[in-house]
Amino acid sequence: MRIRRPEPHTLAGAYAMDALEGNDESRFERHLERCRQCAEEIRGLREATSRLAVAAATDPPAGLIGRAVIAAAQTRQLAPLTSHTRPVWARRTKLALTAAVAGIAVVAALAVAAQSVHDQLQQDQRQSRAIASVLTARDAAMMRAPVSTGGTATVVMSGREHALVFVAKGLPPLPPTRCYELWLMRPGGDKPAGMLPGPRHGMTGPVLASGLRTGDRLGLTIEPAGGSPRPTTATILQLAL
Amino acid sequence: MRLDETSRSAGLDLAAGETRADELRALLCQVARGDSDAFEAVCRHIAGPVFGTVRAVVRDLPQSEEVVQEVLVEVWRCASRFDADRGSAMAWVTTIAHRRAVDRVRSERRSAERELRAASHAIAYDDVAETAEANLDAERVRRCLRSLTSLQREAVTLAYYRGYTYRQVAALLGVAAGTVSTRMRDGLIRLRDCLGVEP
Repeated sequence: MRIRRPEPHTLAGAYAMDALEGNDESRFERHLERCRQCAEEIRGLREATSRLAVAAATDPPAGLIGRAVIAAAQTRQLAPLTSHTRPVWARRTKLALTAAVAGIAVVAALAVAAQSVHDQLQQDQRQSRAIASVLTARDAAMMRAPVSTGGTATVVMSGREHALVFVAKGLPPLPPTRCYELWLMRPGGDKPAGMLPGPRHGMTGPVLASGLRTGDRLGLTIEPAGGSPRPTTATILQLAL
Repeated sequence: MRLDETSRSAGLDLAAGETRADELRALLCQVARGDSDAFEAVCRHIAGPVFGTVRAVVRDLPQSEEVVQEVLVEVWRCASRFDADRGSAMAWVTTIAHRRAVDRVRSERRSAERELRAASHAIAYDDVAETAEANLDAERVRRCLRSLTSLQREAVTLAYYRGYTYRQVAALLGVAAGTVSTRMRDGLIRLRDCLGVEP
């Protein structure tokens, strides 16, 4: 007798309670990627199961928290992601690789989307092409780092192009008297690399910084509006390129 | 940021619950930036639900402690990956915890078929009453679980508090897998709506 598979949606409850394993689980996860309704439902059901967990709360044995704090001190944390990749719960084995590729694609998409608004100006078209060259360069390398005052920066750099593209998410807005300024930091003196534009939907940039030299570090500071020739405040982001 | 230990176990009204949710989310943000004091505060906040859930599923005390350690370290390690747009901080934590607990027992269960038959006579939704200290959350959940049909309640309890897969539950109860998955889904939806969970 052939057992008919249940419709994917009906497995949402089981999935939300980790009651799927093996092929059942991977099949449902693939379904989740395509079914927004189920993804929404899972979100809500997991809030419900969370209450089941809280209802079962029991004081742990003494020393357990202390041991966890010690173990954490010896554990590296994962860097934040800027793009909306799969949540931790999705348990895909190639998450890191997929996220890196998706990240570059997102930055490229951002560059196109953000630039399409400015497409009228020829100068911006040139910049748009320059940004695309960096993103699609064969030696394009992506880095992400938290900004100490808030937000996350993503940088795609190409040694061949001697340029990088900078994007940030979640940068706290500044008063009109201040601006974010990028720097190429090198032994001879820090070179201004452009001021960040205002955020659009929480995203800042992309900004192209060219004239990269080997050994440069990328810096970000908060400067008076209009920028400064040299950094006047401590860096809130520093990246070795 | 100090959390009031006594208010956690005494009754909490909804407003206080929301404040705690905000606190946890803010603390987790700090943890993401490497703040170990914030991590300790997060641990104090979540250790009860994490240990209670893990203990319910794993049962064995030393193993439960190990799993809880793993979960807390995972919360530290992945704090930057918590996305507040996708759900509450507690849901994020308890999802990790339940997953780890279930992973721990599954490999053992695969070779312990006899346990399934023995367990079939010991199903009760009083698992919540057994393991939980008196708290308002438990009361609310008990009340809402009562609004489920007994079959739905049974399916949800076996899956969540015992960590069985839906196929194992179907085998335990002698019903079709599809029937069980429907009960699980309908039961959770009813629970969600009764608790007034915001998606």
